Amino acid sequence: MRSPDALLPTPGRHSQLTTHNSHPMPLPLGRVVATERNPNTPHEFHFWTAIESPVGIGTIVRVDGTHAVGGQIPRIYGVVVEGFSYTDLQSPLHDVLGSDGDPGRTALAATERAEVRLYTAAVLRQIPEEPLQPVPMGEVFLADDTDVQMALRMDAYLKPGANTGIPVGLYRAGGMDAPIYLDADFLVGPEAAHLNITGVSGLATKTSAVEWLLASLFTHFPEQKGSIAAVCFNVKGPDLCFLDLPGELDETDVAMYDALGVSAAPFPNVRYYAPLTSDGSSLHTLRSNEALLHNVHPLTWGLGEVLQFAEVLLNRDDVDAKADALIDFLRDRVIGHEFKDPLLSTTHYVRTFADLDAWFRDLLRGMEQRNGGESWRTHHVATIRKVRNRLSNIAVRCAGLVTDDGVPSDLPWGSFEDRAVYVVDVALLEEDAQDLIFARVVSTLREHLERRDLGVKHVVVFVDELNKYAPADGPESYVRKMLLDISERGRYLGLVLFSAQQFRSQVHRRVVGNAGTGLFGRMDADELATPGYSTLTPATRIKLATLSKGQLMVRHPHFTQPIFVTFPRPAALRGRDGAERYPQAEAVPFEVAVLRALRALDPAITLAWVQDQLALHDEQAVQRAVHEVRRTRPADVKSCFAAQLRTLVPSRPAPAAAATPIRSLPPDDPYGA
Amino acid sequence: MQADVSGRDPTATFHAALRHVAQRLPNVRPVLAGAGAVLERLPGDPEAPRLIAAEPVEDDGVRPHRVPGTPTTGFSAFLDGTQQSRVLAWIGAAPIVYGCVAAAVRVRAARRLVTWREPIEQRRVYAPLTYTVDAALADAFPRQTLVDTATPDAGGVIPPPHPTLLLERARLAVSRDREEIERRLAERWCRDEQRTLLIDGGIGASEAVAQAPCVVGVVKSHRTLYVDGAALQAVLALSRGERSTVIRIAPRGRSSVLSWYLRLRTHDGHDALWGLVRVEVADTERSVPLPDHARVAGRADTVSRWLLAELEPISLPDPRWDKMVYGVRNVEEYLKARV
Repeated sequence: MRSPDALLPTPGRHSQLTTHNSHPMPLPLGRVVATERNPNTPHEFHFWTAIESPVGIGTIVRVDGTHAVGGQIPRIYGVVVEGFSYTDLQSPLHDVLGSDGDPGRTALAATERAEVRLYTAAVLRQIPEEPLQPVPMGEVFLADDTDVQMALRMDAYLKPGANTGIPVGLYRAGGMDAPIYLDADFLVGPEAAHLNITGVSGLATKTSAVEWLLASLFTHFPEQKGSIAAVCFNVKGPDLCFLDLPGELDETDVAMYDALGVSAAPFPNVRYYAPLTSDGSSLHTLRSNEALLHNVHPLTWGLGEVLQFAEVLLNRDDVDAKADALIDFLRDRVIGHEFKDPLLSTTHYVRTFADLDAWFRDLLRGMEQRNGGESWRTHHVATIRKVRNRLSNIAVRCAGLVTDDGVPSDLPWGSFEDRAVYVVDVALLEEDAQDLIFARVVSTLREHLERRDLGVKHVVVFVDELNKYAPADGPESYVRKMLLDISERGRYLGLVLFSAQQFRSQVHRRVVGNAGTGLFGRMDADELATPGYSTLTPATRIKLATLSKGQLMVRHPHFTQPIFVTFPRPAALRGRDGAERYPQAEAVPFEVAVLRALRALDPAITLAWVQDQLALHDEQAVQRAVHEVRRTRPADVKSCFAAQLRTLVPSRPAPAAAATPIRSLPPDDPYGA
Repeated sequence: MQADVSGRDPTATFHAALRHVAQRLPNVRPVLAGAGAVLERLPGDPEAPRLIAAEPVEDDGVRPHRVPGTPTTGFSAFLDGTQQSRVLAWIGAAPIVYGCVAAAVRVRAARRLVTWREPIEQRRVYAPLTYTVDAALADAFPRQTLVDTATPDAGGVIPPPHPTLLLERARLAVSRDREEIERRLAERWCRDEQRTLLIDGGIGASEAVAQAPCVVGVVKSHRTLYVDGAALQAVLALSRGERSTVIRIAPRGRSSVLSWYLRLRTHDGHDALWGLVRVEVADTERSVPLPDHARVAGRADTVSRWLLAELEPISLPDPRWDKMVYGVRNVEEYLKARV
């Protein structure tokens, strides 16, 4: 006779028994139930468990049917999406009456009231898949590793020799850790592509998840699919500023890295790019600590680079078709060409903003001296003045990024390296400059990928704060159009968008809709109340609202239902920790700024040597020299720096010509004053 | 040949029996779907209320005793049975009834109740075989599953073939079957266990059970009150937590037991029987010429404290919640799920 105690469910008893030959024999943890009111369907079923059962929302279970269908016992995999608990009470009042209104008395009762745990599970997979029938009655088991693979259809892409699995995290339930893999064909293309992460700020979810996933992607990206690199835009704070430095990991994290087959180390190949400060003396980045400057490259563009994306910066409301025509004329005929015109006093060769301004000055002077006609080559003088005003303004608005003259410094187009991360730090820039950088970098990536000359076959572009760059509403912008283009066509080129935002509902539907994979961290309750989450059960939404750090809900084309996973902390130094350990360099006198910039390349340079150089040359010339040294990174920094200064000839301002108005300005011309 | 066409037990369920009757007995009229009402819910002719004076064992007369001390848990298990009977078909005007009875013991471990061994279940067909000459009926069901509801009484008189009477007799036969399996289960417990078992109902039906010190019976219905006169007034006036003097009762055909009344709940605003139960324990004083009053009172106080400790959880929504302990309700719910 079994003792009554043996009849009681106890924690762990439902997990497994060990048979006499030591093979674990799992015990059922529940049983499928169905009533006329709550029947099972092909996509959903109900089961009850013991109270101590380790089942919770997100747990994957397996149902073994009892009757063969077509000669095969059906096996159904499901994920728990809703849970219920109730007792034999019909009214709460009965419990109040029973304990005379004293809540403490219930605990003293000799018997616990009978209670049931009832769960609803969404079907992940049925085997056999045909005929698709309602889930039969049967015993319910906790899914083991093999079950999880089958349930999520991972068996299709984890085959030896054709493994395209990218670990995204561990599925944890009932003391079991099962790696969950995304399919590289659906994450990077060509079948589907792109990834979107949503979650509230401050819980180290979005950035951490991307860092982890990039590390996993770089480790497990199938060799046969070619090379891959990442371009990350650091849009706020120091989030991505220390990817090359080791962060703190505990034993649990290291164990997870081991389980998922990823090295618990920072990214070995990271390059940082940042524009200069507006005075050009130093790099405009939170990674400005002297100890890290050796791996920050200046990002500065000249007229040619910027004019190509002028519409990013120009306001559509006042740059009309006429202005567009003039800009196109400049782009096609003036910039980068020798330009002669009877109206101009000299031949112009426009390469910089300074050259362009000189060209405009010369042209307007010629028009003013000429008798008759307000137009030049069909362009009205007012349009010319407007375009001059707008283009000149770019250099001011994007000072530090746009060089008034000098040689541009850019990402290494054509020589991107496999498994390298290129971080473009735009966190300290104005919105216009951020848009310009974003538009040009992504467009250039696309151009190179189209020509297959980037250096790598695939590029992951990570953009945070997507609701800012691709908002669901508001005016059409160049950046949003470009993001739409990437999300809809990028996978054919190998251009993959990893995007993140706090509120998915505020992002353009086509951008998030085209993301094949979705990750969801802890969510705001208001966001969860939006229609985009209506397909989730209330219990799943509650779980999303209460996720801890390091937990994610994953949607992936192979998974018929969202799955909850846990991922390790990134092995790279977290932004906040890095900012404390490597504080941002304070504003310093010009000579010290120059010293820092040069010392990053040659530690032997002294302040006295820099002061000697500054004594002989003006600040502008020194800035140009520093910029050139940063850009070229010569072996002999001193010689290069000195050579730059020697070759420069001080510019002499041209004598101002007396202005001769050709006729009065139109009374409503806002640019003529 | 008694199995149905699929080879299954024809009495496994009501619907299996109904199908079987429809297939095998062309001369009977099966009940229409939904027409087979549960007989236990039909108004019947209940036993007439009565008063029977019983012999006090503890005092000279019956009077109230406050149960001393704090209620403490003493019961380890609970036994109850259930029955359900429905008309299956008619042969002429005579009803054929399908009855199902079950009994179970639920033991308490870590404040939860789980089933002790296997519950006993029995499904039978009750028909007035004395009247029916249809050999097909006897052939349709296994012999041990057929019960005659028109057996002659001790004087050899066959009951009249009144349909209502036959229904009453069928219901009584089902009740007897339920009592029988409850008795069998209680005897098993007494044979194999020493822990205290609370039985829903009297314990005198079985001598073995009635003599077992590990069994306590709790009677909730009071069609027969074993007190009269001043004793009746004393019992009906019991307050919450009071018991009556212990009495000895020995109904005809049942074993002698010691018994007392206990008020479980305050009956203010309710009738006099509200919250009142009658407790039965083994008659340990039967073989001694002079009962040990202190021992009897001590036993009654101890068992009463055990019962008062079972008032929570409350047995609502059962209409008999004022008298029913939760363990018994739990057994009833368990059996309801099985039958």
